Amino acid sequence: MSAAKRVQQWATFARTWHIFDCKWQDPYQSAEVIKKYLLGMHKPIYHPMNDCGDVVVCINSREIALRGNDWRQRAYFHHTGYPGGATWTLAWEVHNKDPTMIIKKAVYKAMRGNLQRRHTMQRLFIYPGEEIPEDIVQNVTNQIRQLRLVPTRLDHIDEEEVKKFPKVMDYPTDYVLK
Amino acid sequence: MSLLLKNSYSLIKNAIVSTSLRTLSTTNQLRLKEIREHKEGSTVVLEGVFVPSPRTELLVRAENVKESPHICPNTCYMCALDLDVKHTDVLILSQFVRSDGCMLPRRITNLCPRQQKKIGKLVTMAQKAGLMINLTPSYCKKDPKKRYGFKKFNTYFDEKTIFMKRIPKPTDRFER
Repeated sequence: MSAAKRVQQWATFARTWHIFDCKWQDPYQSAEVIKKYLLGMHKPIYHPMNDCGDVVVCINSREIALRGNDWRQRAYFHHTGYPGGATWTLAWEVHNKDPTMIIKKAVYKAMRGNLQRRHTMQRLFIYPGEEIPEDIVQNVTNQIRQLRLVPTRLDHIDEEEVKKFPKVMDYPTDYVLK
Repeated sequence: MSLLLKNSYSLIKNAIVSTSLRTLSTTNQLRLKEIREHKEGSTVVLEGVFVPSPRTELLVRAENVKESPHICPNTCYMCALDLDVKHTDVLILSQFVRSDGCMLPRRITNLCPRQQKKIGKLVTMAQKAGLMINLTPSYCKKDPKKRYGFKKFNTYFDEKTIFMKRIPKPTDRFER
């Protein structure tokens, strides 16, 4: 085997580390993308019996965005196993307790429920903020593209730029500005 | 007796205050209609002046922008422009809003009912997502992360959830 082929062999079967910024991302939509990287479905050598999945590091999981009124309407179910042990926790209460829980559950739910699922979840690292341990940062070689654009707040835009921006609406002549 | 006292008090108060109170203002820079005061010899002249709007030079209209505008005369300017406005386009939405973040009424925005309703909903979405936090009432905490309960977390909206079916079309006007 030539040197080039040998390197190709390593590159094919090595685990790649991907980073994903969850800022203003929908966890349930991004779980579908993260799942593909965790299982290795983005590779041409993919096969369900083939252990070719990658590692994904999610950062800023505290900054995820849910759609519409999902924060107060989506409930997470848990049952202790005892009679009357059922609890329903709203998404914002779950997020208050553990800011990594929602994205973790979303990825877990996106995958098929087989024996591999819990082992695949071991390859998912989630951090609530931007601080990651140094040994994990060193492994990362790829970034997964965000699904949604991070919106810009109006007070973060320059006042000059806001004034110079082309206008659509004009006031009537007798309007008194407030 | 107490009524008499009250009346006399208000009379005195009026006498003091009315001399210093003026309902006409002369120095407000923001007004499109302004009242100016100047002296000609011994007479003081007060005149109401229309001030040019700061927006007229930057105004975008479909007839100036589009190559071949075949615009129906009844459509409003937003329908004619045919922009795909999202709730994150705060630079556009902030033009339809008062300084306390309240949507302007239709007699001022001059929109058709359909667009007025749509943009009103987009403004609400932008405010709930905390994207126009500087255009809020004075008692508002100016940081979306200090809001109460579920409101402190990031929220995004889907524009498809605006029920455009319930909002009247311009052609519906004569079908009632």
